[in-house]
Amino acid sequence: MTTDELEQLLAQQPVAVLHRLARGRVQRHFRAGKRRLIELLLQHSAQNRAGFESDLLTLIGERQAGPTSGSRPRHETPPIAHKKAASRSSDSEPSEPPISLTEWLQGIGVPAPQPFVQDPWQIEALAAVNETDVVISVPTGSGKTYVAIEAARRAMEDNRSVIYTSPLKALSNTKYAEFSKIFGPDKVGILTGDRQENGQAPLLVMTTEILRNLLYDAASGEIDVRLDTLGLVILDESQYLADPERGVVWEETIIFCPSQARLLLLSASIGNPQDIADWLTSIRATPCRLVRHSKRTVPLRAGYLHPNGKLTPLFRTLGIPQGHPGHLHPEAKHLFMEYEEETLPSGRPRR
Amino acid sequence: MPPSIHPVDLISALRQKHLTPAIVFLTSRRACDEAMEAFDHANFVLPTTRQEAIAKALEQVMAHHPSIAEHPMIPIVQRIGVAAHHAGHLPTWKIAIEELMRQGHLDAVFATTTLAAGVDFPARTVVITQSSIRKSRDFTDLTAGEVQQIAGRAGRRGKDHVGFAVITPSPYIDLSVLTKGLTGQPEAIDSQFTISYPMVLNLLKAHPHEHIQGILAKSFAQFQLNQRAEVLEQKLDALHIKMEPFGPRVCTDWITQWHTFDHARRHRHTRHPTYRAEPPEISARLPFLTPGRVVGFSRGRGVVLRQYRSKGQKNSMLTVLRPESAVTECPVTSVKEVYDRTYDCPETSTYPWCSTDTFDRLSHQLEELPLRLPLLPILASTDSEPLPDAIVQSLEDFSCPTCPSRSACQKDFLTASRLRQEQQRHTKSIQALRTSLWHRFQERVEVLQKFGYLTLTTQLTAEGEWARLIRIDHSLLITELIRAEAFTGADPSLLAGILASLAHDDDRPGAFPRISPGLSSLLGQVRKLAESLSPDEDPPLLRADVAALVERWVADQTLTWIGLCRLTTMAEGDIYRLLARTLEYLSQVQTLKGTHPGLAESASQAIAAIRRGVLEELP
Ligand SMILES: Nc1ncnc2c1ncn2[C@@H]1O[C@H](COP(=O)(O)OP(=O)(O)OP(=O)(O)O)[C@@H](O)[C@H]1O
Ligand SMILES: [Mg+2]
Repeated sequence: MTTDELEQLLAQQPVAVLHRLARGRVQRHFRAGKRRLIELLLQHSAQNRAGFESDLLTLIGERQAGPTSGSRPRHETPPIAHKKAASRSSDSEPSEPPISLTEWLQGIGVPAPQPFVQDPWQIEALAAVNETDVVISVPTGSGKTYVAIEAARRAMEDNRSVIYTSPLKALSNTKYAEFSKIFGPDKVGILTGDRQENGQAPLLVMTTEILRNLLYDAASGEIDVRLDTLGLVILDESQYLADPERGVVWEETIIFCPSQARLLLLSASIGNPQDIADWLTSIRATPCRLVRHSKRTVPLRAGYLHPNGKLTPLFRTLGIPQGHPGHLHPEAKHLFMEYEEETLPSGRPRR
Repeated sequence: MPPSIHPVDLISALRQKHLTPAIVFLTSRRACDEAMEAFDHANFVLPTTRQEAIAKALEQVMAHHPSIAEHPMIPIVQRIGVAAHHAGHLPTWKIAIEELMRQGHLDAVFATTTLAAGVDFPARTVVITQSSIRKSRDFTDLTAGEVQQIAGRAGRRGKDHVGFAVITPSPYIDLSVLTKGLTGQPEAIDSQFTISYPMVLNLLKAHPHEHIQGILAKSFAQFQLNQRAEVLEQKLDALHIKMEPFGPRVCTDWITQWHTFDHARRHRHTRHPTYRAEPPEISARLPFLTPGRVVGFSRGRGVVLRQYRSKGQKNSMLTVLRPESAVTECPVTSVKEVYDRTYDCPETSTYPWCSTDTFDRLSHQLEELPLRLPLLPILASTDSEPLPDAIVQSLEDFSCPTCPSRSACQKDFLTASRLRQEQQRHTKSIQALRTSLWHRFQERVEVLQKFGYLTLTTQLTAEGEWARLIRIDHSLLITELIRAEAFTGADPSLLAGILASLAHDDDRPGAFPRISPGLSSLLGQVRKLAESLSPDEDPPLLRADVAALVERWVADQTLTWIGLCRLTTMAEGDIYRLLARTLEYLSQVQTLKGTHPGLAESASQAIAAIRRGVLEELP
């Protein structure tokens, strides 16, 4: 497609399609008018034109296949009275009564101290990282650091060196302090854009950019860092792969990571961890193992606090109803509608 | 009702329900600071034992980080057990707050979402007041992944049975974004691979040109492009099956043959009666101005209902359906645009030249048309697809009229040609998906050749050899500045000032009154060069105030941190980040010792000069 053809094709699409395309591509796209949106999309697509075009064609294809109820533009939804009936059929509300605030608040408190027992996924990940590259995708606060530490310990006991990278300098600093406490200060070094300490230590903490630079220098045969003894590369917070500006650094690092070193990718929950694992399998020497789960270790409940101080559960159920954003607690729903009515400037459409 | 809950009431409500410690995420740094100020006049004081515990914990942090000793927030944090934590603060202050939170001394922290990733900062409860966040200069809706990272901070392993995510509305909230985020799947990661100049140089340093395509093919970007290509290939296979009934007939390529024949035939019919009187650009349009065609006038659009020529009239005329079901007669010459869009419109012999059903449908379709429509490329040539002259001239040459498969061809032509077009489109897209990264790479190579970093045989030139060591944003501008000797003779403070203006990509307002003449003229030179490079690299913000600030910090060794902060309206944390990023840029320039010893030396001096006070104090 030429740019003109692409522009014309975009112009023929309803705004809803453009907004779907703009998601993740254009900042604040919902504020832009159609013409501006097309401009922004064209600008953005310059980097990855083919991908953009195929997304567009897929969306057009989907639309031609017939509009699904989910992707209907908002203004087509029937008025409230019908909506209830409609939503009952598609996203049926549970028949149990909504939970009460007292039930919702039950169980607050501090658990009795317990001996440390590895989680099954931690055992699985540690076993796998002995043999091959591993991608871990588990919710925030699950205990990925434990896996990183144990894997690093084993590699170092084997006389192989370890590199741990994080996307943030603050996090690198924290981990440097944490690892120094665990392994001893002489075993740990740090390299960031503005800080170099103990660069010959067997466990090096760095930002991902620094590792990428090391790998480039090594590829052109001009550095001293012992990449041949490198046994393990840990990339923490690797969901940064999706960062518009810095994601490319993670790709470069993974592409150029020496083949004898194991890769350990730690990531919060993401939508397509299997893709990441399949990608690694396709470019690395051994098939990558994926360790994933989405169950939080400490259960989460959601609540709604009204500006007048009234607290209610947000959903009808105690836990968060996965896949059912509509299962709101009637009280929260009522209070929020009241809030919108009172605070929205008149004329602005209510959702 | 107030637009959002008062901070003091919020914390009281959380305390009362035992939902503390909590992290309250607010939209901006200012909101965090204002929330703290809201406690100034509130009757909200911790018991002395807790105040003492906070003081003690802070003292321990101070032992490592003396710069926080004088922090103006210490008294209030101690008094109320609540603190703010955001990017405007110094890293050392943030470390102190994190430590207080970890030890359980605080009831709540007001924070911005910069806290969302990685840093170990858990709480029992997370309060969410917003559904969008500021990302590089703009507000965007939170993604499901982000909502879950934020909410996921609630509930500390080993310290809580349950975690709570509490939503409280503010004018910035769209509840559905949050409920969908909480209950939905996090987004799939999409590759953000881009090919930068340093990447090209470093790849070509280490690998021969012919290996590069294979290396790019290892990217996640290509992996995902391949996934898309595979989907298209499946569609292509399906199309192949659909095309089976339309295989070779009397002619192997009967689709093209019929297309040409049909075209020639129509062309002759419409052209003959009208050709003589009109200028070529008008007559070229006539074959397309058939019933159902969408056309544009100087005001508004219409759908052609009929083309005719009255006796004695010079121009061909059109009957056109205009908005609001108006029917007008107009000469063909008044048509300004012919669009690539037609609607089904069987002609009838009486006004309005089509059935009432068709008329109603067309009126409706006319209203629904998108704002922009593709034009028919008529004026370029007389035919939309140029036909060989010989074919056009002698319609009799076609065997179609007497061919045994004529009726089949006529019947199948539309379906078959649509399928074939789709096939061609998919084939093209697949091709593009498979090769786009390589093309991008080649484009970069051409620019680097133009500037003399690569030879025509894609070897690194002497310039390329050192330029590949500059692996930061705006690398082309930086290496071109070095080649233009912009920094020759510039002292460390000037160098640092310029690199600061390159490194700083935040447009939060800041102000600094004076800028030295030397820096000002150098900055002018940088600006000019950046502009001239703009076709090949996006220019940086080049803010004079941050350049001046860093220049001062480097040049005046007696300047204290507090003195520096007083010179500008920027927040402490931002100044700190600015200097830290400038250090990064300087240390890249420092690697050029081999080829640019003077410049590298200047960079080293600047680095040494920047590292003092708070900047030396990190954990
Ligand atoms: N098996 C376990 N049993 C009990 N507690 C554990 C276990 N593993 C880890 N933890 C604790 O869980 C807490 C969170 O762990 P960690 O910081 O590693 O999470 P994470 O998965 O890295 O989260 P984030 O996505 O925020 O980086 C820590 O306090 C850690 O000590
Ligand atoms: Mg972690």
